[in-house]
Amino acid sequence: MSFQEKNVTVSLINFTLILGVFLIRVFQMILGGSFNSTNVFRLWVIVIALAILVTIFATILTHIFSAIIQAIKTGEENPKVEDLADERDRLIELRGTKVTYFVSSIGVFLSMLTFALGQPPLVMFTLLIFFGVVAQIIGDISRLVLYRRGF
Amino acid sequence: MGKSRISNNIRKLRFFHDEMTQQQLAEKVGVTRQTIIAMEQEKYAPSLELAFRIARVFDVPLEEVFSYGAEAESK
Repeated sequence: MSFQEKNVTVSLINFTLILGVFLIRVFQMILGGSFNSTNVFRLWVIVIALAILVTIFATILTHIFSAIIQAIKTGEENPKVEDLADERDRLIELRGTKVTYFVSSIGVFLSMLTFALGQPPLVMFTLLIFFGVVAQIIGDISRLVLYRRGF
Repeated sequence: MGKSRISNNIRKLRFFHDEMTQQQLAEKVGVTRQTIIAMEQEKYAPSLELAFRIARVFDVPLEEVFSYGAEAESK
C-alpha cells in the first residue's frame, strides 16, 4: 500500500467517524427537542473544524507511522517514506474529486428540494453538511477502489 | 476500468536490463512502484512523457516498449 493510498484510507476512516458524530448529535438534538438554529450552526462549525484539524493531524500521523513501519521492516535509522504523488496518484485524486462533486451536487439539490417542499431551513442546512461529509466518504471510497484495481 | 488497449514489454525489458527491479525503474522515471505494477498489469496507460522516460531508461525506441490496439493483440 502506497503512502497516498494510506492517506485516503485514513481520510475515509476520519470522515466516517465525523459522520457518526454528526448523526449522533443530530438525533440527540431531535429527541431532546433542542433542534434549533444555534445548535445546528454550532454543529456546522464543529464538523468543519473537525474535518480540517483531523485531516491535518491524520496526514502527519500517517507519515510518522509509515516511517516507523519502514524502519521496523528495513532496520534503517532514517527511513525514507515514499510520499511522492505521481501522475497516477493525481489522476486518481481528480477522479475521486469528480465523484465527490457529483455526490455533493445531488446533495445540494436534495437539500434545497426539502426547503422547496415546505421543510424549515434548518433541515436544509443539516442536510447540506450531511451530504458534504457523505460526498467526501464516497469520493474516498472511489479513490480506494481505483488504487486497488490499479487504475 | 478494464485492461488498457496499450500493451507493453516493461517486464521483459526489466529482465534483460540486469533484472532491474520495479522499485529501481520507478526511481529512475520518478513514479511510485505501484504505478510500475499497474503499467505492467496493463491496467494503467502512462502519459506520453512517462512513456518516453521509460523508453529512455531502457535505451530503446518508444515502439519497442509500448504498442497499441490490434498491434498489441497480434503479439
